[in-house]
Amino acid sequence: MKLLEIKDLTIHYVLDEDTVEAVNHIDLALEKGEALGLVGETGAGKTTTALGILGLIPDPPGKVISGEIIFEEENLLTKSAGQMRKIRGEKISMVFQDPMTALNPVLTVGDQISEVIKLHQNIPIAEATARACQMLEMVGIPAERINEYPHQFSGGMKQRVVIAIALACNPTLLIADEPTTALDVTIQAQVIDMIRDLRAKIGTSMLLITHDLGVVADICDKVAIIYAGEIVEYGNLTHIYNETAHPYTKGLFGSLPRLDIMVNRLNPIPGIMPDPTDLPQGCSFAPRCLNKCDRCDIEPPQNHEISPGHIVRCHLYAEDADDCREVK
Amino acid sequence: MKPLLEVKNLKKYFSTPAGQLHAVDDVTFNILPGETLGVVGESGCGKSTLGRVILNLLPATDGEIYFEDEPIVGVKRDKLMQLRRNIQIIFQDPFSSLDPRMTVSELISEPLETFKIYKSKSERIKKVESLMDTVGLAARLYNTYPHELDGGRRQRIGIARALALDPKFIVCDEPVSALDVSIQAQILNLMQDIQAEKGLTYIFITHNLSVVKHISNDILVMYLGKMMEKSEAEDLFNNTLHPYSKALLSAIPDPSIDNRRKRILLKGELTSPINPKPGCRFAVRCPYAKQQCFEVEPELEEVLPKHFVACHLTREINQL
Amino acid sequence: MSTMSVSAAKKIPKKKSRFAETSRLFAKNRLAVIGLIVLILLALVAIFSNQIAPYGEDEQNLRNTLQTPSAEHIMGTDNLGRDVFSRIVYGSRISLVVGFISVGIGLAIGGGLGAIAGYFGGRSDNIIMRVFDMMMAIPSMILAIAICAALGPGMLNTMIAVGFSTVPNYARVVRSAVLTVKQQEFIEAAHATGSSNVRIILKHILPNCLAPIIVQASLGVAGAILSAASMSFIGLGVQPPTAEWGGMLSAGRTYVRNQPHLVLFPGIAIMMTIFSLNLVGDGLRDALDPRLKR
Repeated sequence: MKLLEIKDLTIHYVLDEDTVEAVNHIDLALEKGEALGLVGETGAGKTTTALGILGLIPDPPGKVISGEIIFEEENLLTKSAGQMRKIRGEKISMVFQDPMTALNPVLTVGDQISEVIKLHQNIPIAEATARACQMLEMVGIPAERINEYPHQFSGGMKQRVVIAIALACNPTLLIADEPTTALDVTIQAQVIDMIRDLRAKIGTSMLLITHDLGVVADICDKVAIIYAGEIVEYGNLTHIYNETAHPYTKGLFGSLPRLDIMVNRLNPIPGIMPDPTDLPQGCSFAPRCLNKCDRCDIEPPQNHEISPGHIVRCHLYAEDADDCREVK
Repeated sequence: MKPLLEVKNLKKYFSTPAGQLHAVDDVTFNILPGETLGVVGESGCGKSTLGRVILNLLPATDGEIYFEDEPIVGVKRDKLMQLRRNIQIIFQDPFSSLDPRMTVSELISEPLETFKIYKSKSERIKKVESLMDTVGLAARLYNTYPHELDGGRRQRIGIARALALDPKFIVCDEPVSALDVSIQAQILNLMQDIQAEKGLTYIFITHNLSVVKHISNDILVMYLGKMMEKSEAEDLFNNTLHPYSKALLSAIPDPSIDNRRKRILLKGELTSPINPKPGCRFAVRCPYAKQQCFEVEPELEEVLPKHFVACHLTREINQL
Repeated sequence: MSTMSVSAAKKIPKKKSRFAETSRLFAKNRLAVIGLIVLILLALVAIFSNQIAPYGEDEQNLRNTLQTPSAEHIMGTDNLGRDVFSRIVYGSRISLVVGFISVGIGLAIGGGLGAIAGYFGGRSDNIIMRVFDMMMAIPSMILAIAICAALGPGMLNTMIAVGFSTVPNYARVVRSAVLTVKQQEFIEAAHATGSSNVRIILKHILPNCLAPIIVQASLGVAGAILSAASMSFIGLGVQPPTAEWGGMLSAGRTYVRNQPHLVLFPGIAIMMTIFSLNLVGDGLRDALDPRLKR
């Protein structure tokens, strides 16, 4: 069953002089219990998508131009602010990148966890505190630390607390925005390991936003690659990692220095991401694409399902694109 | 070949309210001309402090550094100026390391102006233009401000500034950590090309082991101010000896789904090296630690040719 | 981007001046522009007082005292038969001069010491800032009154007193701005390229501190005008017969019951000036904030 389905979502930021086309006609689906990795570079629209799901796009300047976000068979975009508040934290919760600023320094971690529980569930304080202890244990922090303040925790521990807060109400969907990016490698490994354990244990569906293809390979079942506000490739891990189809995704893999393979030079993608206020007329990736042909400059590509569940947005895979393939 | 830079028993301590912070503690290495030494470690391992001490931006507490056989610890100002011409730095954050009130050309020509290298303005402009060309900045960006540019281009400005005085040696302090992968690869290639072209020597400080493996000849692994392991790059990856390096290596998320590596999870957290206890600094997190590790500090030892490890148990763990 | 022709790519765009950029952003803030227009008008009035004022600054007409506004005297006359409008016009000179000079005094002393304290830190910072802490323990108005009482009344002394009483404020603003900028990585980068301390302060630190200083100064002018008016009000500031808004207010309060225009018009003049200065200050703060620029 689909837990979350995003259809044709477009979000723009309308500024004085120009319009930032942050998210353009995104389609995404997340099955219950699955983890989907949304991978992209800075400014690709990852975080805007997440904020869109949570109904937290700052308006102005943000505007949802079109689309539907269907969560548990209801369109979130038609909900009132009050209804969304109820959903946030209880059904959908979010973990932010920086654990250093996500916690309130003057409240104990126990208070911060039980606060969320009290907000959404009408239970006595003692019970909420007991549940907070339970949550701490679940993310691998001894319950005796419940009365400590955030500054007494290290970065990795703080991120565990943030995750505990996010999971406190048993949400059906957890959105994690670069949850391990700010952490050191050995600590990141611990947190990734914990997230995997938790997923196996409680089966929360997850949308993981990251730029790190390595983290995605560790945690997720499905991957969506986002570029300039569009999903350019979508599929399961095998599709993305072993049957890479879109030139941008190939470029991403070519840019990564690898531990297992020795190369003298990397193969970076030339150029930079287009200005989101002035996207190219055709394919957004065309100016940097090594497989570009004439139609890429003129006509935006469509989604093509090249194998079941593997969707690529590129002219190379259109049935009538022989001219493109020849150039390549 | 004679080393370009020699660092001997270098120490840098900071006084903090909580006690002495041993940011860099007894670090020794050489770098040959034209080569790259990668320094890897997690936060608080002292890698950035090491770079700043080499640059004389921070005074060393103890130890010696020789650049082309000349000592550079505690030199006088005129000598220091000469040194600054030869040793430059590329900073991590291309957003805060450039003065927001200066244009691209002003930023690049600043080192030329401080050293008054060119008498005429037109010569200086020519040099700036050629530097912009070297690092791949389009001429039309000459008068733009850094905030109008993306991270990759800003880092190119940082590189052009570092190259302006034609130095022999560049300290690269996490130069690609703040960049997106596709841009990161462009900058890494650029740095390799410039190195090959100008015969530069790099010390490449980073937390990213894959990057360091890609760019370095030798690699030095640090933990809480101490050297843990140092060897040739290939060797470090194919024949990792120190338990910390092993864990660090296995902790990197691998962007592939085949033959997943077995991960060594370290217990515990990174601390800061304030008033360190005797014994090995890694002992508390080390899966192999024995009584001895908590009592005696291991010396750096050449276990295999050109492969140095500071660990009491190296031979035992690796069956050497 | 890639379609740009070769000839176009060769053309190097002119350096955009910061002044032009700031003015463009400032112009977007309508209230601030209105404030600026009022200030410019006020400055013109001050410069051309002789031409604008229908009567002399101290031209008495004892047969025509305490008149209500009429066609002849649009703001009426005071107890000595002087034209209130003319006196307000002449008073604008005093107010503007006092405002800007006091701020100049405060900024020069406070800003300089604040910059030294911030850049060098350590002992010099401690000594300078502790002295200012002591000064700040005394309310600035009381301090100004005390200084003025010691120096004696008069325009110059008023400016010194008002300026001196604001020194700690500027020192604090400049010091904190310098401290923030000093910690930025580009300062370290400048050290690494071999720049001297003087060059770093002049070329990197001060230009980056300018925004908060300009804002504080423009708001400070309003405060200084108000302080100077208050000093005149209690008789310590500019002495009669020189026209000064605070002094006019003070002289008029005896007649407030029957001739409210005597306090109303100088009051409005003070209010308008302060209000526009505050608008301009706020506008400048927004226009100079690089975070809002992106």
